Amino acid sequence: MPTIAGPSLSPHKRIVAARSENTGCPRSAEDITPRKRKLRSDSAAAVPTPIKWKSPRRCALMAEVEEEPNGMLETQFDCLDGKSKWNPRDDDQMKAVKEALHVSTAPSTVVCREDEQRRALEFVKGCMEQNKAGSLYICGCPGTGKSLLMFVYEFFQEGLPCLETVSVNCMSLTKTTDIFSKVLGENETGKKAIGSSTPLEQLQILFSQKQQSSSSKMMLIIADEMDYLITRDRRVLHELFMLTTLPLSRCILIGVANAIDLADRFLPKLKSLNCKPLVVTFRAYSMQQIVRILQERLVELPYVAFQPKALELCARKVSAASGDMRKVLSVCRSALEILETEVKGSTDEEPQIPVPEDQMVKMDHMVAALAKTFKSPVVDTIQSLPQHQQIIVCSAAKAFRGSKKDRTTAELNNLYMEICKSSMITPAGITEFTNMCTVLNDQGILKLSQARNDKLKRVSLRVDEADITFALKEIRFFRNCLL
Amino acid sequence: MGKENPAEKALNLIRGRLCDPTFVFRPLSGPPDSNYSKLKFIVSTSITEGCNNSILLLGPRGSGKAAVLDLVVGDLMEEYPDSVTLIRLNGLLHSEDNCAFKEIARQLCVEHHLLFSKMASFDENSQFIIAMLRECGLAHKTIIFVLDEFDMFAQASQRLLYSLLDAMQSVTSQAVVVGISSRLDADQLLEKRVRSRFSHRKILFLPPSREEIDSLLEHLLSLPADSSFPSGYVTQFNEKIKNITSDTRFKDMLKTFLNANSTVNSLLKFIFRAVSSMNLESGLLSLENFKTAFSSMLRQPKLEAVRADCSILELYLLVCMRRLEVKEQSSYNFISVMKGNLLIEFGLRNDESCATMKNNLGFYVFTEYKTIHDSFQTSDFYAQNVCLRAFEHLREREVICYAENRGQSQAGEYRPMKLLISASELHQGMRSHACCPAILLKLLDH
Repeated sequence: MPTIAGPSLSPHKRIVAARSENTGCPRSAEDITPRKRKLRSDSAAAVPTPIKWKSPRRCALMAEVEEEPNGMLETQFDCLDGKSKWNPRDDDQMKAVKEALHVSTAPSTVVCREDEQRRALEFVKGCMEQNKAGSLYICGCPGTGKSLLMFVYEFFQEGLPCLETVSVNCMSLTKTTDIFSKVLGENETGKKAIGSSTPLEQLQILFSQKQQSSSSKMMLIIADEMDYLITRDRRVLHELFMLTTLPLSRCILIGVANAIDLADRFLPKLKSLNCKPLVVTFRAYSMQQIVRILQERLVELPYVAFQPKALELCARKVSAASGDMRKVLSVCRSALEILETEVKGSTDEEPQIPVPEDQMVKMDHMVAALAKTFKSPVVDTIQSLPQHQQIIVCSAAKAFRGSKKDRTTAELNNLYMEICKSSMITPAGITEFTNMCTVLNDQGILKLSQARNDKLKRVSLRVDEADITFALKEIRFFRNCLL
Repeated sequence: MGKENPAEKALNLIRGRLCDPTFVFRPLSGPPDSNYSKLKFIVSTSITEGCNNSILLLGPRGSGKAAVLDLVVGDLMEEYPDSVTLIRLNGLLHSEDNCAFKEIARQLCVEHHLLFSKMASFDENSQFIIAMLRECGLAHKTIIFVLDEFDMFAQASQRLLYSLLDAMQSVTSQAVVVGISSRLDADQLLEKRVRSRFSHRKILFLPPSREEIDSLLEHLLSLPADSSFPSGYVTQFNEKIKNITSDTRFKDMLKTFLNANSTVNSLLKFIFRAVSSMNLESGLLSLENFKTAFSSMLRQPKLEAVRADCSILELYLLVCMRRLEVKEQSSYNFISVMKGNLLIEFGLRNDESCATMKNNLGFYVFTEYKTIHDSFQTSDFYAQNVCLRAFEHLREREVICYAENRGQSQAGEYRPMKLLISASELHQGMRSHACCPAILLKLLDH
């Protein structure tokens, strides 16, 4: 599949003009871009604005917005002065909020990645000015905005007219060598395929010979998910980067992947040739960055949908876990849905109750959404297992406490029968026991190896013992058993 | 003719109901926070608002995941007749990328009445799929991808999952990906980048609670007040059902059954067996039907082998083997069992006598055994070759077997053997045996 389609940019260009200033004036349409840049750098410097004198300016409708210790958040709320109340029962308004928070809606400008954007842009411009080839490697965890930058990059093509862009998602290639034909395919200079030479050879010829045509456009190759090109002999990746080292090469290569040390590990030869790619690392988002990005997305909505503390909680939790922006958006949408069911559920009974004041996504919705996303289903499942299976899980937890990490089914059966005897429960027969072990294996709680004889299969535990203890702590019998 | 027909009709009706998952899971979809409503809410918001979503349905096998999904899809297809396309893939069949893309392309062709070419290459298939996604997105038609056995898709390279989930990140496509898996950690099996694109919504299918089971039983077994049934019969039948379900014995039996497996599927099998053994003359269910079903569900084949098939001599041999096992002789052969048999026959228990017996090695201990037997008058003494035949019979029934497969050169009597039946099963089997001598039970316990 080629890289994902460009986002619909038109509705979001308004964001550029909609930012208000530090002093809390209402939004003015004449805000021009230089102002915006100043605002961003101001807030990046975290100027602590005085909180007190802003409160009388707050609209009466904005009930109980808590005083934020973080000066940056304050600046955002000034532009909320003119915002109306949000009615979550209105389908259109709910839809608008959901759309603003959907992963596929890409913002027009990339917030919090200005530094990386600048570096990449400078690199490309530098290459173009010197008419030299070069390679850039972008790395970072998933969900940190790498591919997003590439799309905004395409948007930047308007500023760089002399570039031909080839954008490839390496996952969509059937063979790794297809990347060369894709690159070549975009670069039809009128020459047909020369006999039986491979696309790679054609490219090499192209870049080593002097160009007859005067239009020497530079070529920008963007390779997404580049680690799919890694084969055992690492030839393809090498050749791709070597294209930039050929004497008359005029291509700029930008590779995107997750591993930080891809260039070092898989391309050692480049170092010796002194053409190592420039590495731009996209670090995982921090809490403040996540909050900024969320507010950026919500700022053009004419109402307040989220309580700021809720956004902060979400940002804090996800940044501590992975710093993945997609997860943040998913959690926010989940919280929206919880609010929606709550609101819609109450409509069924008595529609004449008026909408309570400031209905928005509050802390408890966000807490519920976070619990849903981060909770593992293991604890719930263990709690709802039938009794005999719980005894098996308990005996497995006891058996694998020490250093021994796997046992045969027969040994586990003995332990199981001991526990059953100690509590006067009739143990199930060996056939039934093996069946229950298979069911637990299917669910991913135990792990059964293959063996000819049923009794010789080796069993090991896939779930943490702490999870089991936590799940079974309500039942006194198991609590005593696991002591 | 008059009274047979309603009973048979009732039987057919109930059996038909039990085999139809839509009927079974319909009452579970009533309450607003049931899995059905959650799933329906997520998929219908995707259809109406056009935002993409991905969900994972988790739960043990037989808990109704695919059935509830079918219910939801069926209902949505009725509500929004032309806006839903369904694509089904199974991890056991389509886990390989080429295969999966081909299958998706084929199903899309079938849905939209296009011609599908088997010769299409992987690239062509994927281009087609992208084009179709875009077209459907423009036409506001949602495509629902159902991936059964989701964890199998995550085993090899996760290209299919990446492509599908990546396509959902774009604005032009309108799709929902529903994964069904029995592994609870199915999303931990995904690569980092695939997991990041997955929206972490999970719906857990837990076994039904007591109230749900009671209402389910009532829903399945009550006959409707239809005109095709004589009305007196219907009320009689339903009355009987109510009596049975409120009986404490039935409740205990159900509880014991649910302690072993609590999924809806196993419950359905249990009820099916009970209903199938309904007495067609009376036309009413009874508690005995459920009891027979229960005992046939929790079968213990080795126990039945002991109970039904073994002769007294074979029981003796089994008890000897068990005693030798208890004395921590993990491998024993026929001869040692025979000696053990002798020990039992003589009633010798202390170790000294055992030692003297062991010193008396040799095959022809039997002559001495025989003379002593004459004086002891136990009726259960047999010659060695008879005992050997009994041994062979036990081995055929797989109640015992050779401990190792090699050593064919050794004579059958010297090859080490072991028990394949546990002590408790042996005990139970002997207790339920028709004519097991009491002395054996005593000997087994000590």
